[in-house]
Amino acid sequence: MLGTAIQQLLDGITLGLVYVLLAAGLSVIFGVMNVINFAHGELAVLGAYLAVALTIQTGIGSTAFVAALVIAPFLVGIIGVALERYTVQPLYGRNPLYHILLTFGLVLVINDLVYLIWGTGSFRLPRPGVLTGTIGAFGLGISSYNVFMIVSGTLMAFAVWALLEYTKYGLIIRAGSQDRQMVRNLGIEIDRYYSLVFGVGAGLAAFAGIILAGNRQANPELGMSIIIPAFVIVVLGGLGSFKGAVVGGLLVGILQESILRPWVPWLEGMVIFVLMIAILLIRPHGLFGTELAEEGGSERLLAGRAGGLLERETRLKLGLVMIGVLALVPIVAGLLGNQFWVTFGSRVLVWALFALSLDFVMGYTGLVSLGHALFLGLGAYAVVLGLIHVTSSVFVALALAIALSAAIAWIVGFLSIRVAGVYFAMITLAFAELYYNLLYRLEITGGSEGLGLIGHDYYYGIAGVGASLDDVAFFVGPVVLTGHSLFYYVVLGALVASYFVTRRMLQSPFGSVLKSIRENEERATFLGYNTIVYKRRAFVVSGAFAGLAGGLFALNNAFVSPSAAEWLKSGEVIVMVILGGMGTLYGPIIGAGAFFGLEQLLTHYTGRWRLVLGTIFVLFVIFLPRGLVSVPTMLAPYLPGGPGPAADPGQLPEEAKTEGDD
Amino acid sequence: MGRDDKCHGSRRQVLRAVTAGSVAGLTGLAGCVGDPEEAANGDEALDTIELAVLEPFTGPFADLGEERTQGTELAIEEVNESDEFDFEIEYETYDTQSDPEDALSEASEAVQSQGAQFLTGCISSDVALSMNDFALDNEVLYTPGAADVAITGERCNEYVFRFETSTAQIAEAMAQWTYEEQGDQIFYHLADYAYGESVRNEFESRMEELSDDYEAVGETRAEFGAGDFEAYITQIEGAADEADAVVIGSTGEDLTTFLSQAADRGLPDEIPIVTTTASFTPVRAGAGDAATGVFSGVRYYPDLEMGDNQEFVEAYEAEYDEPPDNFSRVGYDSIRMMVRGIQEAGSDDPTEVADVLGGLEQETIFGPNEFRECDGQAVNPVWMGELVEGDDLPDVEILMELDGEEAIPACEETGCER
Repeated sequence: MLGTAIQQLLDGITLGLVYVLLAAGLSVIFGVMNVINFAHGELAVLGAYLAVALTIQTGIGSTAFVAALVIAPFLVGIIGVALERYTVQPLYGRNPLYHILLTFGLVLVINDLVYLIWGTGSFRLPRPGVLTGTIGAFGLGISSYNVFMIVSGTLMAFAVWALLEYTKYGLIIRAGSQDRQMVRNLGIEIDRYYSLVFGVGAGLAAFAGIILAGNRQANPELGMSIIIPAFVIVVLGGLGSFKGAVVGGLLVGILQESILRPWVPWLEGMVIFVLMIAILLIRPHGLFGTELAEEGGSERLLAGRAGGLLERETRLKLGLVMIGVLALVPIVAGLLGNQFWVTFGSRVLVWALFALSLDFVMGYTGLVSLGHALFLGLGAYAVVLGLIHVTSSVFVALALAIALSAAIAWIVGFLSIRVAGVYFAMITLAFAELYYNLLYRLEITGGSEGLGLIGHDYYYGIAGVGASLDDVAFFVGPVVLTGHSLFYYVVLGALVASYFVTRRMLQSPFGSVLKSIRENEERATFLGYNTIVYKRRAFVVSGAFAGLAGGLFALNNAFVSPSAAEWLKSGEVIVMVILGGMGTLYGPIIGAGAFFGLEQLLTHYTGRWRLVLGTIFVLFVIFLPRGLVSVPTMLAPYLPGGPGPAADPGQLPEEAKTEGDD
Repeated sequence: MGRDDKCHGSRRQVLRAVTAGSVAGLTGLAGCVGDPEEAANGDEALDTIELAVLEPFTGPFADLGEERTQGTELAIEEVNESDEFDFEIEYETYDTQSDPEDALSEASEAVQSQGAQFLTGCISSDVALSMNDFALDNEVLYTPGAADVAITGERCNEYVFRFETSTAQIAEAMAQWTYEEQGDQIFYHLADYAYGESVRNEFESRMEELSDDYEAVGETRAEFGAGDFEAYITQIEGAADEADAVVIGSTGEDLTTFLSQAADRGLPDEIPIVTTTASFTPVRAGAGDAATGVFSGVRYYPDLEMGDNQEFVEAYEAEYDEPPDNFSRVGYDSIRMMVRGIQEAGSDDPTEVADVLGGLEQETIFGPNEFRECDGQAVNPVWMGELVEGDDLPDVEILMELDGEEAIPACEETGCER
């Protein structure tokens, strides 16, 4: 029994040390540069694959393992420096949100490059004989490689610690992570150290990736599986704190391997997120984070408002024309005999509604929710479960979805809105992951198999009055509108209604307060507004509309599975909002169209379309941060005779330029 | 992308409107009448079959998706070159990204833009199950690739025919062999999702029938995609004295990583490891030496001397320079069995094909075989094997064979009503 306990503790320390190495880089990069690097996991994967190249593909085999352990992190470090110089650097001074988007793009690019170069299979890294097999000690068979992981991980962590503690570089970096401006005031060009920090962080990730690949497998999905725990650790320990990364890493490693998995396995995947939520609520800056005020005040989100380029009337007309065009889609599709445009359109419109709901809270209060898929998933399951167990009226089920999402949004908002910025993003992510894990575990949700609506009768109507869309047909000239086409109109109607409702809300006194919060929360507080209450209300509204989107999402698919609530969906919807232009309500709708349009287009030309998509995101964030809706304004000076109706359609009245300057 | 402007999609819609009793449905029909291609595509002249190949070309199952597509494409090529069939297959590939939502969207495109009446593919169970429903809803014929029991069990329908061997069938061989060779004290290590759950259920129910003393000594469950299994291996080691064998209910990366870590810890020396899918090429290639000494249920192996398997292997190797594996043979014979159904029905109407395909006896790489009428499941033989040292990657040594009728659950037990 004791032997097992020791082994369990060793398991925890082994994994914990890998987490330490991953989290240390992530944490210091954030502390110094305020960059949330989602691509950190992919850099680890890149390290692992370069080691594969050096050992397996050169044909040298296991003898090259140690060399690979030095060379690969060095190479990844250089790549890290390049990434910092050419992609991250143009973004300094902007809100950390843009780094999320940028590095999200980089994830797609690096991941697809790995697929492109090394193929889809997984590799087992060849290791020297000394590092394989088991060592007998205390009556235990301890894996030699685990011992190696513990020793090398500890040494590396110490080296980083010494570097930070005893060198001049370390001193400047530590100072920078506490107060950048102060360091600048002292006459040190902290910016020049950024590349170095990014490179070293990347190298550390690569080192962790290699020793991890030696223990597991080098496969392209490795990065996805480690990035979320690494973030949890960084947040637990406190962003920017090396000590926090060490304590957090070991804590999560031991908790996961030595306590949860052996003793309470059904809580795994929940406890860590609950712990993260709890710590953020008690200590909003993590265990060892500095309590300094957020610098968010000077780093604004760049809203996409075009600002008076078009006349109010013209814009309103354009919006109506746009709705008219969208309304014609099923008829044109019917004439052409290709119904796909209708199903595709329904999907885009559902996502547009989802993006609109996120924009209401992100674009107007500056709260970046990284867990909005929670509400999409809630709405989706509420509708499906509602239709299976409770009612056969779609409208009742949708109302249920909206009510449930709003209620959960209130609870999540109540707990989360007291923390700000990145911490808010992480806490919403934690709630979404909790829900995602729950979906797998509950009996009623059907676990990973999901639930289908086929075989369950339901109708569009209320109290028994109504009909199934398949039983109704409208005839427009030669075109029959039924089934999917009618559903398209249901979604379009929901989107247009949601747009006008949210727009009306923003024109009300409530909306004015929201905008004042976005522009300057402090001043809004000085005016006597309880900003937390207003932000929470906005979050509830957003949750409710996201729930509606989720319900339609499930109806469109007639099927729901836990993937509806996975964090990638949350990431994608943020991308859509920024792609279109946030803080405009219509921008995200355009963004959703552009996102799926691109995907649809690219998948036809290349299997590696994520690479192209990722590159486009990166370019967007760097060169067009205000989104597609800002294109007309940018082009305006070059257009002869001023702006014409050819400019971006769908633009509706909005106040003049209000975004903050850096 | 507006590749072709056929009328398939709208025809389906119109039929619905007509059955709904609308007189004006005829007006709708008018929109299609002028299309010459539509006229040629009637039941009389059967020249092209539109097929959609839906596989995860990106994401965690990408290698399996590609492998399966190779088998699918080989079969299509043979059908198109053969005189045996009155028609040719036109096909397009679609990336499901291992996500049900993406898969459904791609499937809609296939049916509505390409005009596909026949779908094949999908590796993971949730995607395949969403496709099951899609096939029924759109009345198209579907041949899935996942092993989930529910596909031809509780969530079966009359449009789904599976050549992939189900977990129920493979569990039959595993349970018999484990009981005879190892014993009846079993430890389970499962991936905590539908697949892992079904491995335990199927294995356990058979063990209970075989032995009165059967006992589940313990169980560990890892999240799907856990990536790290040290803690579970420690627990399995702790129970190694009481248990006769550990049954692993996971596949793909979960399995390769588990085997790698288990080998480092010396687990195979302490307790026999019985798996469902370690015989797959990607698993053997991924785990390498770590897979030797592990036992596995076997759904297919290229050396098999049955039916026309050797001709298949030869053709496959000539085309791709590598031996086929489980997924490529599923792709290959899913297509061949399906097209024989089309030929038999003399129609490309999926409903008519589905009517004749169930119970249609035909020659496959496993010899005479059929999709059962009661559940659409192919009656495949199964094997038990051990992984032994090989040249590049471990070889599969066959220990025991169970023929198709013995391995497949009785119709009444499947829970399938169709």
